[in-house]
Amino acid sequence: MDQGKNMRDTVELLEAIGRDAKLRHASPEELARALEAEKASAGLRELVASGDSAALTEELGLVQMHVEHQSQTGGHEGDGHDDHHHHHHDDDKDKDDKPKKQPDDRGKDTPST
Amino acid sequence: MNTPTPVPNEARQGSIACVGMGITLGSHLTPLARNHIETADVVFAALSDHVVQLWLERLNPDVRSLQSYYRPGKSRMKTYREWVDVMMSEVRAGKRVCSVFYGHPGIFAWSPHKVIEVARAEGYQAHMEPGVSAEDCLYADLGIDPGRVGCQHLEASQLLFFERNLDTTSHVILWQLGVVGDRSLGRFRTPDAYRELLVERLYQDYPADHEVTVYRAPTLPVEGPHIQRMALRDFPAAEFTGQETLVLPPAHALKPNAIMRARLDELDAVYGTGAEPAVPA
Repeated sequence: MDQGKNMRDTVELLEAIGRDAKLRHASPEELARALEAEKASAGLRELVASGDSAALTEELGLVQMHVEHQSQTGGHEGDGHDDHHHHHHDDDKDKDDKPKKQPDDRGKDTPST
Repeated sequence: MNTPTPVPNEARQGSIACVGMGITLGSHLTPLARNHIETADVVFAALSDHVVQLWLERLNPDVRSLQSYYRPGKSRMKTYREWVDVMMSEVRAGKRVCSVFYGHPGIFAWSPHKVIEVARAEGYQAHMEPGVSAEDCLYADLGIDPGRVGCQHLEASQLLFFERNLDTTSHVILWQLGVVGDRSLGRFRTPDAYRELLVERLYQDYPADHEVTVYRAPTLPVEGPHIQRMALRDFPAAEFTGQETLVLPPAHALKPNAIMRARLDELDAVYGTGAEPAVPA
């Protein structure tokens, strides 16, 4: 499929740029010329030209990733590492036998993701 | 020379290596981390950029994203424990497991440390390889040497949950701004009012016009670092995606420690100052 071929090329091209000392810090003009020479996808060229990632997102079917990998220590969750262990009713596997404490702020906002 | 007896696959013991992808695609993956990924039986991934994940999926035929375990309203602590469980299931099945996290696997990441602890307790080989973290990128992009006057790193929420003391003679760097103040662990983003509260707390240590930097490292190599400089009072109005870091430079000069310096004088009197003797004319 043509889209699949573009997708492979775009991802591989980005990785190649990342390990190329010249291209990684190239000026926008130099980068644009390099992308032209590599026949980069329209989405990638648009990202470089304007900073707009919409076309690239559509091209590759990108989704937003969650980046939180740790519990905020001191919150109403026991993470097994700090001295402030709290049991959350959602965490049945918590092995700490410290007093139960329910979060008092369930948060009503819908995540932006 | 004795030829070692081949160990049947069924008897092969499982193992896990936690590695970092680094921050920027193509730029930060170490050779060792790449080899862990390529030689693993199964790879688990918790990355920050979908493009990076698409590339990772080409390094190994069995790459499993951990993203699907997140749910709005679901405690992330539960998610992190599920990650440990799913990784350990493969280790116990005798697989050579590699888990890949963005940046450094051991910085602001609970599951890698925990799975290594659990795996070792059960007798499996488990270790962590360092990766290039957002902190490393920050030093390079902002020209900060943490060794000059020191650098205090905190999760932003800790400043609200606990009575933390800030050393304003050093750099102070606050992380995880997107979820600052959230105690439910079920939100992926807290409203701007929570960052306003953070600024209010910072006013205890810094003047409102203290110049700060809002920083975000690029995940794609066609982008540069995102750097916004502003007065502390203007931080709530900064452009914000949720992946930014707040950098507060020193607000005060280092204060000499007269007592310790006098004690050092006493030691120098005994052991010498270490200065080269003057060359006689």
